[in-house]
Amino acid sequence: MRVVAVLCFAIECLFLSSAHSSAVAAQTALDRGKAIYEAKCISCHGENGKGTTEVPAPIFGDKPVSELAEVIDRTMPEGAPEECVGDEARAVAEWMQQAFYSPEAQARLNPPKIELSRLTVSQYRNSIADLATSFRWFQQPKKNDRGLKAEYFASRNTRRDRRIYDRIDPFVSANFGAFSPDGEKIPDDEFSIAWNGSLIPRETGLYEFIVRTENGMRLWVNDRETPLIDAWVRSGPNTEFRATRFLLAGRIYPIKLDWFKFKEATSSVQLSWKTPNSVEEIIPTANLIPEFSPEILVVETPFPPDDRSSGYERGTSVSKEWDEATTAAAIEVADKVVESIRDLAGIKDNDNRSEKIRQFAEDFLVRAFRRPLDEETRATYLDAQFAAAKSDEDALRRVVLLALKSPRFLYREVTGADDQYDRAARLSFALMNAGPDKTLLEAAKNGQLVTEKQLRDQAWRLVGDYRARNRLLEFLRSWMNLERLQDVTKDAHDFPEFTPQIAADLRQSLELLMEESVDAENSDFRRLLLTDSIYMNGRLAKFYGVSLPENAEFQEVKFEPEKRSGVVSHPFLLSGFAYTHTSSPIHRGVFLSRGVLGRGIKPPPIAVSPTAPELQPDLTTRERVTVQTSPEVCANCHNMINQLGYALENFDAVGRYREQEKNKPVDATGQYLQRNGELVRFAGARELATFLARSEETHRSFVRQLFHHMVQQPILAYGPETIGELSEQFEQQNFHMKQMMVEIAVRSAMRGWATNSQPVVAEGSKSQP
Amino acid sequence: MKTRRDFLKRLGLGAAALPFISNLQAFASAPAIAARKQRLVVMFSPNGTVPWDFWPEEEGENFTLKRIMEPLKDYQKQLMVLKGVCDKVRGDGDNHMRGMGCLLTGIELFPGNIQGGSDTPAGWASGNSIDQEIANFLQAKEETRTRFGSLEFGVMVPDRADTWTRMSYTGANKPIAPIDDPYQMFRKLYGQVKDREVLTSVLDSVQGDLQKISRVISAQERHLLDEHTTFVRSMEEQLKAAKDMESGHVVPELEPGVREENDNIPQITKMQMDLLVNSFQNDFSRVATFQITNSVGQPKMRWLGIEEGHHELSHEPNENKEAHEKLTKINTWYCEQLAYLVRRLAETPEPGGEGSLLDNTLIVWGNELGQGNSHTLDNIPFLMVGGGLNFKMGRSLRFPKVPHNRLLLALAHGFGHNLETFGNPEFCREGVLTGLT
Repeated sequence: MRVVAVLCFAIECLFLSSAHSSAVAAQTALDRGKAIYEAKCISCHGENGKGTTEVPAPIFGDKPVSELAEVIDRTMPEGAPEECVGDEARAVAEWMQQAFYSPEAQARLNPPKIELSRLTVSQYRNSIADLATSFRWFQQPKKNDRGLKAEYFASRNTRRDRRIYDRIDPFVSANFGAFSPDGEKIPDDEFSIAWNGSLIPRETGLYEFIVRTENGMRLWVNDRETPLIDAWVRSGPNTEFRATRFLLAGRIYPIKLDWFKFKEATSSVQLSWKTPNSVEEIIPTANLIPEFSPEILVVETPFPPDDRSSGYERGTSVSKEWDEATTAAAIEVADKVVESIRDLAGIKDNDNRSEKIRQFAEDFLVRAFRRPLDEETRATYLDAQFAAAKSDEDALRRVVLLALKSPRFLYREVTGADDQYDRAARLSFALMNAGPDKTLLEAAKNGQLVTEKQLRDQAWRLVGDYRARNRLLEFLRSWMNLERLQDVTKDAHDFPEFTPQIAADLRQSLELLMEESVDAENSDFRRLLLTDSIYMNGRLAKFYGVSLPENAEFQEVKFEPEKRSGVVSHPFLLSGFAYTHTSSPIHRGVFLSRGVLGRGIKPPPIAVSPTAPELQPDLTTRERVTVQTSPEVCANCHNMINQLGYALENFDAVGRYREQEKNKPVDATGQYLQRNGELVRFAGARELATFLARSEETHRSFVRQLFHHMVQQPILAYGPETIGELSEQFEQQNFHMKQMMVEIAVRSAMRGWATNSQPVVAEGSKSQP
Repeated sequence: MKTRRDFLKRLGLGAAALPFISNLQAFASAPAIAARKQRLVVMFSPNGTVPWDFWPEEEGENFTLKRIMEPLKDYQKQLMVLKGVCDKVRGDGDNHMRGMGCLLTGIELFPGNIQGGSDTPAGWASGNSIDQEIANFLQAKEETRTRFGSLEFGVMVPDRADTWTRMSYTGANKPIAPIDDPYQMFRKLYGQVKDREVLTSVLDSVQGDLQKISRVISAQERHLLDEHTTFVRSMEEQLKAAKDMESGHVVPELEPGVREENDNIPQITKMQMDLLVNSFQNDFSRVATFQITNSVGQPKMRWLGIEEGHHELSHEPNENKEAHEKLTKINTWYCEQLAYLVRRLAETPEPGGEGSLLDNTLIVWGNELGQGNSHTLDNIPFLMVGGGLNFKMGRSLRFPKVPHNRLLLALAHGFGHNLETFGNPEFCREGVLTGLT
């Protein structure tokens, strides 16, 4: 790798000098740039580049000065580019950069604010789930225990006194033929098995459960009373049973399968699922836990999606559809709460039922509103409802409906009190995506959320929770753009072995890498970019030519370590960011520049459909892309995008390594002009990944995106210094991802929308280097 | 997964609810000139009857009611006894299973893995049941379509799905679970009205609180809450509109807190029957089944001073007079329940029509067996009450051991659904059962 300094002089003058004389010189240069802008540019581009009726598009971006100057030199003013060249172009670029062009300048001109927000959809669902769970016994599962508990019976009715043995089964897929699981202790024509434990899904959405058996069975998922599938009576030719359930990502659900054979000629059973974005498969061991867990209250009511126009989900707008959804969801939750009130309120036979229900209703309100009830709130939400209702159940239904339709539940920190309860809420939403738990509310009540240390201690407690882990995993998925890669398919003629199952396995492999990086003691972000191993099972190993037994379970293996590095060359991303026939340096480059390095990329100014490879059969992918993106309007962005993507040209459309394409050697060299003006060159995945892992741009971008994911407010609203300080901490803490979550949570906890009145960005504050 | 449509439908709001609302309007506003409504109820009680206390000695219009039918003496002119109708379906499963699974389907059970006390194991019935067939027939026509089409009531039906607990089938292998919790049935029938009532009051409080909060926060933040307020108001208006539209609606009151347990069977039965009458009154459905316990049902009728379970007693030989005295009491109790339903229907005028609900309803009382100790499927104790299908009532009829499929056909024909066969066609060769009209 070679780093070339390009025109460092001007940048040093602008940003790094502290000597008085050079400061004066810089100011003079800026004045000159301003004068040129006013003389030659303002008539079309308007004040501060805001645009005019003639040229309405505002000017802003994140190109370094040198690149901006170069564009002006070559193209501006339109029709007479010779009028602003060389020194002049440079001077005007420098001035534009700090006056309005850079993201920092934009933030200074339009300082973002922390806005009053409602719960996002996922916060809504998770808050309800937590609310209900807070009334039940719950224990985080022990790590590493995977699979289901299995009890084998020598009777058809899972009779306790006929239990022969139990064990942990890694998954449910058995074929006993005409025989029994145990020739000695269990008769061939009559036996049963009960599988029990929990299920931990990775995505939110509809899951289809599929049981295949020629025998009888019942399946319960997140409902211990009513089976999701009741096929205890085997009848007719049907041997496949399907039913769907809506599940929230990262939560732990009870699952139970009772199955029996009685006199049928043969017996077999398979428990599969189809996750929201993948193919049907036997429920993998990694998603099963042999421990008991309580039911989760999952809101199934569909909500309109949250606004993601700023790159992350936010709750800063409301709509009629959303309001309607909150009503439907409130009814749904009220039904479910009333139905299981005995369990939730812990009512025993000789308890005073009325008292227990009323106490539950009060606790429910406190936890839903994330703060104690003042007198007036108690009167409206509790007393009046019990007075109006005919029975305790009716009163409870009213309280739940009212609580969940209340702005005190639906909005974040709505009263603007900005006290310790608001801090508790912000801390909790940032880390858990749901309201505060009992411990946090208690701490707020006792005045223990005052100092930064107190907040940090609480944040460390929460970050160890499975929900915080899930929040980080969720973020990594969005950082890698995985939600866009839901249907990775390849041309059946060129890649007949790239089946939907291979795509699903690849995704699983990437998930396992993410989980391992998150769970590692040091939680080091760089591992994602630099690891030289990969998770593979037998199927993947066969496809990618790694030696493993065909039926091998997922395990970590070394995979072309000198050619590959971390997620950058993970075959799932390589296949996802590719066409069905060929690789796509542009898709890969967009992921690297926008996703990893955090560069802003505007949509293409003109609509272009990619040239079909058949039309230029002699060109390699790289040659074809270069030709196609050579026009001036394209080159502006594609100079950066393509050069990053080219470094991965050794990998074809399914992420297999290649030395040649079209009988020509692959050229995998690339380069990147950093925002500080330095040019970096690299060749191949490993050099590229090494650069990315070291780059401050990568670190800043990671921190900024993580902040937005957790806080759902613009990071610049927390002061222009925040991003720099957090990035520095990230580096000092050896890129410890969970520690970064703690730092972000603490910072966001200290500041709410009610603090906006204080100036967030002081006039003339220093620019970021 | 619920959809937005489900939600609106549940509340009876929006376009999704139109078919239902129009149905309500017909009920609420002045009666339109419409064809006479026809209804069917199938009531089930288990374990066979006591033949000598059930079947009248005489045939024809002049007959004396035996002990078990005594509770119906006020309605003798409206009832018809059918002796000699037999469940001829054979194949897999024991008689309790086939008696139940074939009672309304008239077709064999699939082979399966559920083992009864004898015979081979079996699965579900291999066809739909006559109540569902008729309900589909009525739902297919605009003028007879109702909100639910059919309702399946139960009383203390065990919480397990198997061949002994299901008699209605939407198709082969598709049994319907009866609803045996009156509160659940109430929610199904009137949940939306209740939801709307509570929501209306809740939204009023929400409005108040939104205004209170808006007062203390800055104008900049308030726009979001203001916008929210307008949505809440719009929902309130929709709720009001829906309420106005159905101001004639009869919503029954249920006594709260009745637990589902053996000793509450009389109370649950009464609650369910009241809901059944009410749902007819509101024209929610024109077909219903009413299943008291299940095939092999074991209620212990302590309220009659009987400690043993019904099924256990039904195995006693004819010589055991004491047991049969109890069995007669048990069956008489079932008939009393039927009589309660008959009286309620007779006392309720047909909304927007002539006569009473009973004049336009036929109740068929059936059983999975002829008699408990022999497990015979001959002479199923079929008794019919009411004028729903224009049968000539007030008679005791005898048939020469005819397949009950022919009776099922007669029920369909009574609705103008002139099927040639139903269930196993083998048993329909003689055509619809004659002599009923």
